[in-house]
Amino acid sequence: MKDMMKDNQIISLVLYAGSLILLLEWVYPLDDVTDTANMSAFYLFMVLCFILTATKLPYWIVSPIKFMGLLFVMHQLFYSGSFLSRIWINEVFTDMQMNISMMLSQNWGGLSPSFRTLLFLILLWMMSYLLYYWFAVRKKPFSFILFTFIYITVLDTFTVFNAEGAIIRAFIIGVAIMGIAHLQHLLEKEKIKMPQMSTMMKWISPLLILIGFSTVVGYAAPKYEPIWPDPVPFIQSAAEGSGIGDGPGGGVQKIGYGENDERLGGGFIQDDTTVFLAQSPKSKYWKVETKEVYTGKGWIRSNDGVFNQSNSSLRDLAQYSDLVERSEDEATVRFESPGVLNKLVYNYGADRVTSNHDGMTFEVNSFTGEVVPKSGDSTNLPKEYQLDVQRPFYPVEEMRKIDSSVEDNIGVEYLQLPESLPDRVVRLAEEIVDGEDNRYDQAKAIEQYFTNNGFRYETQDVAVPSEDEDYVDQFLFESQAGYCDNFSTSMVVMLRALDIPARWAKGFTGGERVFGEDHFEGGEPEYEVTNNNAHSWVEVYFPNLGWVPFEPTVGFNNPTNFSFGESVDDILDRESQETPETPELPEDSESDEEDDTEEEEEDNSGTVLSFSKPMQFTAIGLSVAILAVLVWLIIKKRFSLIRRWKQQKMARNHDVDTFTDGYQFILKVLAKHGLVFKEGQTLREFAIDVDRWYGHSAMSELTRYYERAIYRDEPIQDQHHEVYRLWNRLVNDLLA
Amino acid sequence: MTQQMTTQQNKVEQILDHMEQVIVGKREAIELSLVALLAEGHVLLEDVPGVGKTMLVRALAKSFNLDFRRVQFTPDLLPSDVTGVSIYNQKEMTFEFRPGPILGNIVLADEINRTSPKTQSALLESMEEKNITVDGNTMELKRPFFVMATQNPIEYEGTYPLPEAQLDRFLIKLNLGYPSTDDEIQMLDRTSREHPIDRLEAIMQQEDLIQLQEDVKTVHVSDAIKKYIVYLINATRTHPLLELGASPRASIAMMKAAKAYAYIQKRDYVLPDDIKFLTQHVLGHRIIISSEAKFEGKSATSILDDIVRKTIVPIERG
Repeated sequence: MKDMMKDNQIISLVLYAGSLILLLEWVYPLDDVTDTANMSAFYLFMVLCFILTATKLPYWIVSPIKFMGLLFVMHQLFYSGSFLSRIWINEVFTDMQMNISMMLSQNWGGLSPSFRTLLFLILLWMMSYLLYYWFAVRKKPFSFILFTFIYITVLDTFTVFNAEGAIIRAFIIGVAIMGIAHLQHLLEKEKIKMPQMSTMMKWISPLLILIGFSTVVGYAAPKYEPIWPDPVPFIQSAAEGSGIGDGPGGGVQKIGYGENDERLGGGFIQDDTTVFLAQSPKSKYWKVETKEVYTGKGWIRSNDGVFNQSNSSLRDLAQYSDLVERSEDEATVRFESPGVLNKLVYNYGADRVTSNHDGMTFEVNSFTGEVVPKSGDSTNLPKEYQLDVQRPFYPVEEMRKIDSSVEDNIGVEYLQLPESLPDRVVRLAEEIVDGEDNRYDQAKAIEQYFTNNGFRYETQDVAVPSEDEDYVDQFLFESQAGYCDNFSTSMVVMLRALDIPARWAKGFTGGERVFGEDHFEGGEPEYEVTNNNAHSWVEVYFPNLGWVPFEPTVGFNNPTNFSFGESVDDILDRESQETPETPELPEDSESDEEDDTEEEEEDNSGTVLSFSKPMQFTAIGLSVAILAVLVWLIIKKRFSLIRRWKQQKMARNHDVDTFTDGYQFILKVLAKHGLVFKEGQTLREFAIDVDRWYGHSAMSELTRYYERAIYRDEPIQDQHHEVYRLWNRLVNDLLA
Repeated sequence: MTQQMTTQQNKVEQILDHMEQVIVGKREAIELSLVALLAEGHVLLEDVPGVGKTMLVRALAKSFNLDFRRVQFTPDLLPSDVTGVSIYNQKEMTFEFRPGPILGNIVLADEINRTSPKTQSALLESMEEKNITVDGNTMELKRPFFVMATQNPIEYEGTYPLPEAQLDRFLIKLNLGYPSTDDEIQMLDRTSREHPIDRLEAIMQQEDLIQLQEDVKTVHVSDAIKKYIVYLINATRTHPLLELGASPRASIAMMKAAKAYAYIQKRDYVLPDDIKFLTQHVLGHRIIISSEAKFEGKSATSILDDIVRKTIVPIERG
């Protein structure tokens, strides 16, 4: 008996240690997701609490030590003066007093960090008790393990915390704990002494092998890409805005559209000055120009191209082949404060531009994609202009036909790369597209590479390449954090490294949808485009189609329409169903920031859906079908599924409640076979019916025993053997 | 279950078999009257003349070697004709009590509804109280004491139907009915020489019967069974076609009868099947059906059947 107690204690300690590791997984991410610092102090305090609780010393010894530990941590973190001196005590006392009065006045924001730390330490203290109870006493670790997983995955999904390691650790510890707890339950139930070490190993090694195997398989197995883009950069970009830096790199710049892209890099600060308002049926990117020469630091032009006088036609810009289907669209743009911007913004597929200004002409540069408005001799932006757009739908099937064998009928400038480009960039590009045999899939692979490999969207702390560093190389291999310029430039460079013609496009994202302020006539959606929306992306050349835009920046969605064999009308039909023409106006016309964020989210997700809908529908339909089949199977086979369990229970337990349970199980199985125990029927009558049907007497015999159990209140221990035999026979007959 | 109990139960079985020799094909009626006897209750027999009511009582009395009395209730019967009367003995100059028929063990009260309510209640009260008071002297009735009253359902002219409150005092009401063709032929065979009742021998003695009555009280009634009884009784109280449901006295009667019936079935615990079987006989005369029910052609029997069919039998402990 004493031995058993001792064994029990060892297992309890192992479980308790496991719980400490799991709790550490809870505290560990706080470093990343909150402004908590000095984490080691918390770890030490937790370990202290756990060790003390595990010693099972009386509370009047343990509690003071823990309390002193708590004070010492507080002392180290916050208070001056020597520990426990009069001044020190005074300081602590005043601090606490202040915080308690803050708390009473419900001024939660006013609580000092020291007080919040104190509360947190107390929480950890309490957790050490709670986990001791859960793990070491009750030995029911499942819910805590489950919650740990939920916590870690939620943090991973919605915060910057990367939980890859944490999940693996939690899995290993969690399964090990549950295995050991189960062993303990078995030992207790069967009243077995803890076996010898060798026997123990026989038990433990399958568990360890299983854990190791599942971990390795889980880690190495291919995983589906997420259906949604990682929400973190998106949340950040929604909260912080997006855009491109401009001008010479280094230092913090203000975001906005600029001309000079020679040196890219460095952080920027937000600027929500409205550049222009636009009315358009859909949120689409606004292009301004493209650049084609990458210097290793930024973008310049090889030549400025030719500006052709044009009255209103923009046809030179959208040189698509007939394979690209198009649909008619319109857009209106009104400039608010364009800053240095002196060119028109336009959507992909813009066909005509019209302005109310008298005498305004446009010069279109088909090489750079610029549209410069001219009023007389001077460059002058019109206040407002309309665009007729032939919205392009790029056929993926056609794009997939392009492979390395197809010759590009386009200038070599789109394959230019600087001499100084490190080889590892080229190698990486080749690695990424390994296995993809056509241009579209190669471009997609590179576009997705950043999202799938933990690249972060970052606007503040963005590296600037030093004199002998390459901008793309630094981003790909060192910082792995940046904004659109980093992503788009890197993608262009990698494409060119694979001999795929590509160029760098600049402009604005679709902007934020505005409600309640009618800047334009008509009910079409209106968008506000600010300096924060300044953006850059990638255009890839397909010889049979033309230039197709791609979006590598994490957290941004490609607004380009790809068609997967369906007709353009179908796509448009679907779109019109998704986005109602006139959305409900919110009561509050001055929608606050939060609303804006939500709108943008809807907006963007709409675009994503229109892209991946066919796949998504199949996936949803398939999972629903599989789920339905599973549920049906479970319902149909439920008795067979629980039969073994019931049999074990019946064999083990000799009490009347188990017998009742087992007997009623038979009634349920019989009901499934069409022999329903009707109201007003007695068991004996029913048993006769059953036996008549099956041509034996087992049910009546079993019922005799059951009647004695419940109507005579007779214990069934003595007859258990016979009862179990009859019951088993019936169950086997019925579920055969 | 003790060995002794099993022996007793076997003897009861023997009695039943013997009685069936006399009253051919009426096993159920014999069992029910035995139930009433063992549960210390009384039986109301409602039947046409000549189906063997007297024979049933006599067979019962002979099997237990009991003192059998018979009272023919006529309109001019006085209470003292039932209880007995004190007569002045001139020789000894004292009042001498001449006991009436009620001071026997088994009393057949024939055609009880033909006598005046006063005489009826003299009998019924003594059935309940188990004693009589004559001229200020209270006398205990004999033990065992068992009344089987008969009612003739044909002749209603000049009868005094028993009020509901009085009917409640009978544990069981039963009717014998005509025998089936085969049974009647068999009966003719048996009675062609001498009546089998004359050959009937006592299997048990009075004291044995008292012991049996005590044994019956020890039969186990589980909580589930009590629940079932109460469910049934409650159902009669709420049934829309019943004007008057069964009283709590009916619940007690049901339990007593069920114990006795279980005992006869050689069990020492009550089953829901016992309750179900007894419902008609124990509750049939304790409910009053509404005029709507009569109009619809329903009888107490069909309504009780309906109740039994719809009342859930508890199949779990407690």
